[in-house]
Amino acid sequence: MQIEEVKTRVKKVTAEVLEMNVSEIADNANFVTDLGATSLQSIRLVAGFEEEFNIEMDEDKSLQVQTVSEAVTFINTYL
Amino acid sequence: MAYRSLKQEEIGILVSQGCFADQWSDISVTDDFSSNTIRNTRFEGKIKLGISSGTVEAAKGILKKCGIFNSHIQHCEISDRVHISEVKNLSNYIVEENVVIENVGSLVVTEESTFGNGIEIEVLNEGGGRELPIFNKLSSQVAYLMVLYRHDKDFTHKLLDMIRDYAETKRSGMGRIESGARINDTLIIRNVNVGPYAKISGACLLEVGSVNSCKEAPAIIGEGVIAKKFIVLSGSSVDSGAMIDRTFVGQGVKMGKQYSAENTLFFANCEAFHGEACSLFAGPYTVTHHKSTLMIASLFSFFNGGSGTNQSNHMYKLGPVHQGILERGSKTGSFAYLLLPCIVGAYTVVMGKHYSNFDTADFPFSYITEEKGKSELTPAMNIFTVGTRRDSEKWPTRDKRKDPDKLDLIHFDLFNPYIVGKIVNGINILNELAEKTPRTQDYVNYRNINIHRLLLKTSRKYYEMALKVYIGQEITRRMDGITSNASMVEIRKNFKTADKEGTGKWVDICGLFAPASKIDELINDVKSCTIKSIAELNEKLTGIYNNYEKYAWVWCADLIGRQIGSELDKITVESLIQIISDWKTNAVKLNNMILKDGEKEFDAGSKLGFGIDGDTHTRDMDFQAVRGVYEENRFVLGLKKETGAIEEKADRYIAFLEKLG
Repeated sequence: MQIEEVKTRVKKVTAEVLEMNVSEIADNANFVTDLGATSLQSIRLVAGFEEEFNIEMDEDKSLQVQTVSEAVTFINTYL
Repeated sequence: MAYRSLKQEEIGILVSQGCFADQWSDISVTDDFSSNTIRNTRFEGKIKLGISSGTVEAAKGILKKCGIFNSHIQHCEISDRVHISEVKNLSNYIVEENVVIENVGSLVVTEESTFGNGIEIEVLNEGGGRELPIFNKLSSQVAYLMVLYRHDKDFTHKLLDMIRDYAETKRSGMGRIESGARINDTLIIRNVNVGPYAKISGACLLEVGSVNSCKEAPAIIGEGVIAKKFIVLSGSSVDSGAMIDRTFVGQGVKMGKQYSAENTLFFANCEAFHGEACSLFAGPYTVTHHKSTLMIASLFSFFNGGSGTNQSNHMYKLGPVHQGILERGSKTGSFAYLLLPCIVGAYTVVMGKHYSNFDTADFPFSYITEEKGKSELTPAMNIFTVGTRRDSEKWPTRDKRKDPDKLDLIHFDLFNPYIVGKIVNGINILNELAEKTPRTQDYVNYRNINIHRLLLKTSRKYYEMALKVYIGQEITRRMDGITSNASMVEIRKNFKTADKEGTGKWVDICGLFAPASKIDELINDVKSCTIKSIAELNEKLTGIYNNYEKYAWVWCADLIGRQIGSELDKITVESLIQIISDWKTNAVKLNNMILKDGEKEFDAGSKLGFGIDGDTHTRDMDFQAVRGVYEENRFVLGLKKETGAIEEKADRYIAFLEKLG
């Protein structure tokens, strides 16, 4: 899968979970400080990414991902 | 002790010192009695007086002359080394030695009383049906069984008989102020027993009760307290305007700051300030500190209530009959509201307002939140929070009970057969829900609460992580102490269980983890009159408590056996290495997730409000001065050290086992 497609789908899931427009999600947006994700929403983001990409991510490492671009890179390691 | 009548010269001295008696012949004294230290005192009825010479320490560094001064004594026995002064009416009491009673309006027994023992309180269900007679030796376990096992009438009736038998042993027309007690500046004490070294100071009204106490753990009743139909146990303090009615205050409890409680139980180490309780069953370590917090008609334990926590037990139908169960370790955020009836699973955080009657008992370590007016459950999320780990570590260190006779039996293990049994069950339920819920559905409703479909698999993973941590920690504990030349045969011996006591369902009897089978056995013993008294019942419960490790290992061994497909004492080297490897991976992962959660307390968001008149640098410096730095935080350092120890131990055991393999 191309990295751009990964990014598009990461943003799609992010928009769904955080109930915002994809256009509001910058590539380097921090999920917490820029997009306002709560702890509960962070868990849902992880679950959303896992389902979207049909992967199982390391629980510890996935919660250390802070930005959209880090998420893209991290998810890409599983693809 | 031998008593004699007053000599004429003694009567003469007493009269000259302003004393008066209806009948001097009704007063008997010990042989060494001296009348010099009894002044301006009126005597009525049969009186016995001990030696009144010397001094007694009223408070640290304050000595009082032994004797009776400016008081009215009616039908009392007063021992040696007692100071009584400015007591308007002291009637029908036995005052033991080394007691100080000063400036009290009324300290009287007006009729035969059991001093609070046997008083029935309507706990948990405000509309009645779960009445519990309180008594001096009430433990959280006995209370739990009596209040909550109403389905077994034979058992509860027999238990009730035992309690009433105990209460009758306290019946007397004379109250007792026991050795070492100090009572001062108090308005009215009526039909109250006061235990050894108890301190009552500044109370308004104490009526029909017992203040049980001991030298190691004095009970304290302080200023402004109004207490009716009550029992307070050793090591507790009730002060600063607290008002209690039909209330039991267990050991090591702190209550004050105008807290009010009726028909309520507080067990070991509870804290209650500022708020209100009604028909509350507060198990050990229930803490409520804030104004506007109501705790009503519910069972709590190891609980912390956010300010403004509230529940409703009315539905404007048949009255206040609804009840709630919040399993151990739960907590509520500020202004959390629960509509009863409901059940909140263990170690669950409740935030927001909840108007559906849900049951989340199958999902410990969860978050219950409010999303767009609906209740939502995030299972397992509270496994990897700092709060859960800190709470589980703090409780055993905060056991304030100093009484050698500790009534409430308390187990503190975070992961134990009761909780892990719930986790195993929770995993199965989440699997089932995940399998049958289509991807087109965002939420699944389970017992009246919504779970986001995406979280079904994620939460299950967190539970599985906890399960591997539990299994690994139990296995490695039983490998501790093996020698470097141990064989697999010797290792398997460490895993062997003597019998099967401990398998099956476990229960949390208000602090005591026990196999349900042992509780059934206890209940049958009560019903068959094998257990006939409260003392025997407490002994049986203590036996179950003391055998926890044995029963817990049987349960764990059975669990592992089912997981590996063979008896644990036949485990292969490969399976054992896998268990330890899984333990290491998951325990380290869990600790890292907890540390990550802890980092939030040091991020930019947490620094809001710091460095008030300065710039970002000032903010950071101010924050550091107040909160310290993350890397030096004691909890963080402890957890990192624990991670290191886990890794070292796991690596050592795996290397050892690989050589055996």
